[in-house]
This record gives sequence, structure tokens and C-alpha cells, in this order.
Amino acid sequence: MAESGPPEIAPLERRVTQETINRYAEASGDFNPIHVDPEFARGSPFGGTIAHGMLVLAHVSDAMTAAFGRRWWQGGRLKVRFKGPARSGSTLSVAARPARSGERWEYAVAVTSGDETVVSGTAEVPPD
Amino acid sequence: MGADSRPSLAQLPRGHRFSPVSFRLSAGDARRYLEAVQDGNSAYFDDEGDLAWTPPMAAAAFTLKAVMDQARLPSGSLHAAQELEFRRPIPIDSQLAASAAVAQRSEMRGMAISVVEFEVSLSGTDEVAVIGRSTVMAPLEEESVG
Repeated sequence: MAESGPPEIAPLERRVTQETINRYAEASGDFNPIHVDPEFARGSPFGGTIAHGMLVLAHVSDAMTAAFGRRWWQGGRLKVRFKGPARSGSTLSVAARPARSGERWEYAVAVTSGDETVVSGTAEVPPD
Repeated sequence: MGADSRPSLAQLPRGHRFSPVSFRLSAGDARRYLEAVQDGNSAYFDDEGDLAWTPPMAAAAFTLKAVMDQARLPSGSLHAAQELEFRRPIPIDSQLAASAAVAQRSEMRGMAISVVEFEVSLSGTDEVAVIGRSTVMAPLEEESVG
């Protein structure tokens, strides 16, 4: 019988708006002005507000939870770099593609906004 | 308004231990979090439809916030990288205890690159639920904000 490898993971899209950023700030307690103060953020290198890094990672975890349920919480690993900002007004595409199977299933993770990479890295989960 | 007496993250040496953090995520907190991140997974709920499990990303995010609040983040600081390991599911409304330390520190082009490692456990046990490793770049010279 052939060994099953890491399954495909359904990609997802999430819209970043000032409203969603503010809602995350309320829920997490993180009111860093780069996220919630458009006037402050206009003067920053980003030119506008950006989503929290942990908000963006929550979308990756969402996709992994959808695929693996609680198994993602019992040995799941994420290792990512934040490559670019998730700007208010943008749409994020979250993808995790099977990369390697073995003792652990490994996925190449990417969160993009149009042609810009926001997050890149890997996710691992214990196999069945 | 009094001056902020917290040390700048950029100045904290390798080995600096943050004060331990303790918190509880209620069902209300978890629900607000799940709505905020638009996570509609049913895995968090029991067969009766009640929230039964704390989103592990919420535990990680709350811990990182509580730890970083112990230091000043200079204007221009960036969250550069993140590693997370989820070890065990966290029952909803669990009392959580977290510890954190600066595991690595280096300097490059006027920026301090700090790696903060944290561990979240079920309070009163040695059951580790989440391990994290956050890389933050912070300017060595501060601009005053406000």
C-alpha cells in the first residue's frame, strides 16, 4: 500500500481593512500606532497602516487548523519571515504547499498581496 | 505625562529575563479573537457548539504582547521573523503562565536584532502548550514619538 503524503491545503484569502486591523487590536490589546493610527502611519516608511504580523500568521494557522484540526495544535510548527507589510486596503492570499514528507509533513508557506510577498516560510505537522 | 521608564528593547542584553506573565483567555476573549482573525474553524468548539479550546495563536499573541509591553519599542521597530511550536491543545479558560528571555542579540546598521524566546504553559503544571521565538529589529538610537 502506498504511503500517503502531506495532503493539499486549501488556500484562503483575507481582506485587510482598517476595520479588521482595529478589531484585531481590540482583541489582542496591541494598539501600536503603526496599525491603528492612519495619520501616524502616513509618516512611516509604509505610508499607511499595516496589519499586525500575528494577525497575518493567524490566517496561516487558520488554514492549517482547517486541514488538520487539533493535530495542528499537537506538534504543529511555523517558521516564517515577515518580508513585507500587509497594508490596509489589500487582500492577502494564504497558501501552504506540500514540500516534504517523512517524520513530519512540511509545507512551504506564503502569504502574498498581489505580487508582494508578505510572509514566507514553512509549516510542519506530525503525519497521520 | 510621566516619562516612560521601561528599557528599550534595543538595549536589553542577551540573557535578559522578562518578568513572568500570567493570564487567562475566557470564552469571550477567544470568541472576539476568532472573529477578529476571521477564523471559522469548528475545531475550537465541542459537540454542543460551545467554545472548548483556546486558539493557540491567541495564546501566542497575548504572550508576545505582554512580554513586549515590558520594554519600549522604538519607532521604526519591525517584527522580522516568528517561529511557533504548538505542543498541546489549551482548554478554554485555562490559566496560562509564560516566561520569556532575550535569547540572542546582535547589531547591524544601527539596528539591534533581538530574538525573544517564550514558553506558555498551563499554570501550575509543566505542560508546555506553546513555544515561540520572535525576531524583532529595533533602532539603537531612538526618535522621540509625541
